[in-house]
Amino acid sequence: MFIGRVVGQVWATRKMRDLDGKRLLVVQPLDDHDEPGNGKVGPVVCADPLGANQGEAVLVAFGKAARVAMGGDGDFALEAAVVGIVDDLDAPDAPASWRAGTFAGRNAAEVSS
Amino acid sequence: MIIGTVVGNLWSTVKDPSLEGLRFLIVRPLDAEGKGCAETVVAADPLGAGVGERVLVAYGRAARHAIGRGHDIGFQSAVVGIVDRCELEGRTLGPHQDNDTVPTGTQATASRSKS
Repeated sequence: MFIGRVVGQVWATRKMRDLDGKRLLVVQPLDDHDEPGNGKVGPVVCADPLGANQGEAVLVAFGKAARVAMGGDGDFALEAAVVGIVDDLDAPDAPASWRAGTFAGRNAAEVSS
Repeated sequence: MIIGTVVGNLWSTVKDPSLEGLRFLIVRPLDAEGKGCAETVVAADPLGAGVGERVLVAYGRAARHAIGRGHDIGFQSAVVGIVDRCELEGRTLGPHQDNDTVPTGTQATASRSKS
């Protein structure tokens, strides 16, 4: 499970039938871009049952946890899903980039839109 | 799951018997800027994607389910979707790397379509 920021959305017509009707988001894991060797983790495509907005910070689970979150069983052609939308977090040593508009919160996003 | 661009086909004669008849693609994952990563992955393709198309690649049990030969096969990644459209940080990626559009004023693109 990781924390990431929603950076995009994907649409596909030709896909496994399990994915029909699933909202697919592109989530970039939060990492410390100031550290050498980091910042190389690519974005993850995950199903989103919660309706996260662009730019929001989300919790993403993998594997069976993700399939259960999407209401499926073992035979399900996805392995990553949003299981939570982050309101805020307290990590004093986290890089400044973590806070740059990442934790706007649901209310702030609704007011600005 | 990751999103990537199909950059090639792969054939193998000497392989695990459970992989007979599978189609293999070489996929270059996209980074957060929509550019290709340095490393590629190989994915089984039950959907029939072509070179240059954007695809979704799943791993593990999800991939074996997509391949549809039960869970005792020697492979762990598979194409589960062919992308129509992807919005990524304000730019729109098309189904094919030649269809990408970017916001006006951005110069990041000519090099991407060549890579």
